[in-house]
Amino acid sequence: MIKLKNVHKKFGHLEVLKGIDLTVEKGEKLVTIGPSGSGKSTLIRCMNGLEEVTAGEVYIDGHRMTHKTRAALNRQYSSMVFQQFNLYPHLTVMENLMLAPVKLKNMPKAEAQELAMQNLKRVGLAQKAQVYPTTLSGGQQQRIAIARSLTMKNPIIYFDEPTSALDPEMVQEVLDIMVELSHENITMVVVTHEMGFAREVADRVVFCDGGNLIEQGTPEHFFTNPEHERTRAFLSKILR
Amino acid sequence: METIFSAKAWATVWQYRATFLNGLINTLQSAVVGLVIAMVIGFAIGLMATSGRRGLQAVARVYVEFFQNTPLILQVCFLYYALAYSGVRITVVVVGFIALGLYHGAYVGEVGRAGIQAIPAGQFAAARSQGFGYAQTMRYVILPQTVKIILPPMVNQVVALIKNTSCLYIIGGADLIATTYNFVTGASTGGAYGPAYLVGGLLFFLVCYPLSMMAGRWERRLKARDQMQKGGEQA
Repeated sequence: MIKLKNVHKKFGHLEVLKGIDLTVEKGEKLVTIGPSGSGKSTLIRCMNGLEEVTAGEVYIDGHRMTHKTRAALNRQYSSMVFQQFNLYPHLTVMENLMLAPVKLKNMPKAEAQELAMQNLKRVGLAQKAQVYPTTLSGGQQQRIAIARSLTMKNPIIYFDEPTSALDPEMVQEVLDIMVELSHENITMVVVTHEMGFAREVADRVVFCDGGNLIEQGTPEHFFTNPEHERTRAFLSKILR
Repeated sequence: METIFSAKAWATVWQYRATFLNGLINTLQSAVVGLVIAMVIGFAIGLMATSGRRGLQAVARVYVEFFQNTPLILQVCFLYYALAYSGVRITVVVVGFIALGLYHGAYVGEVGRAGIQAIPAGQFAAARSQGFGYAQTMRYVILPQTVKIILPPMVNQVVALIKNTSCLYIIGGADLIATTYNFVTGASTGGAYGPAYLVGGLLFFLVCYPLSMMAGRWERRLKARDQMQKGGEQA
């Protein structure tokens, strides 16, 4: 579904990704972990073209991701949930969900509204349909952002540290929804520091450090028997 | 200055009240048409300046710096004589429209640029991640948010534009300042300096003050809302 071939990304002189090869299968739940600055967020931002790769290639379902194909590919294949939620503050919750499906997928308004309502119910916030996002808590905003992603009906959802900006008491409500989503045939690529989530949901965990993929494997392999020294050092710091 | 207290001078001004009102109408007409031109130019300049493309940004920069760093009155004269010498036959009024539009287009462009740059990068990222292209991202996500931010400085621009119609007197426009000046130097009406300038000033003030008030109120409301939103996030 997603294929990265020798992907390099430089910001000025700083090389953030140093030749990444990675394939994500349809319906796979891939969790990317690693220290901050390891390039894991840049990695998923390259997948949906928010960052243009400096060298190498990204393919979505066999189509090359470029500056020119980005809009069409994202429209058809993927959605993203951001650390800072990035809901549209000038639109109500309902309008946030309906905007892209109506404007980009030519979904009839009635259909979009019904679908949006279904997804709001799913994240437990149907009663907030008519309010503006800034009146909601961080956890609620992130649940709305997930509902917005679902309303696109796309096969891939990227999660870029979806719980990192949340107060501790709100983390669980977001993770619960993500766990529930993982039972569906959606391809999920998740950058997170939530190891409990990785263990429960991931088909495969990828450890990223210094712009390279250091190690990958099942959660079982990862949390019980990591091979690389750097992986062990990272896990020992984070799993106390 | 004794004319300020001269009943005769005031009577003359009153007698010619239609002339002053006519000047005001001409001033407002120049302001409105100039504003429309300035908005169109400013919109384009603002988009170019935030496009991320070096060529377009350079064009926008040169335009803005040129018009902001030379006096409007010189631009008015230059445009008038340049057009006259190149054989283009247009009226003084139209020269006024164009000069005001070009000059204020630079300022409106800067207001627009600042407004677009005030929108967090996450909004652009969210729109792009959903598959919106540049034009759609601007139309549905960025500009609706920008408009609210730039309303107060835009209204201040309108006020500046109305006052700057006064520069058109140099090419013999029929605006309020030209009218007032002609009145006080006129053969039959001359001498009533104090009352005439007071009336001219008052007319400007009556138009501009409510606009300034409105801009101030908008700005305060915007700030209050920002405060509320920040409070909401912390809660």
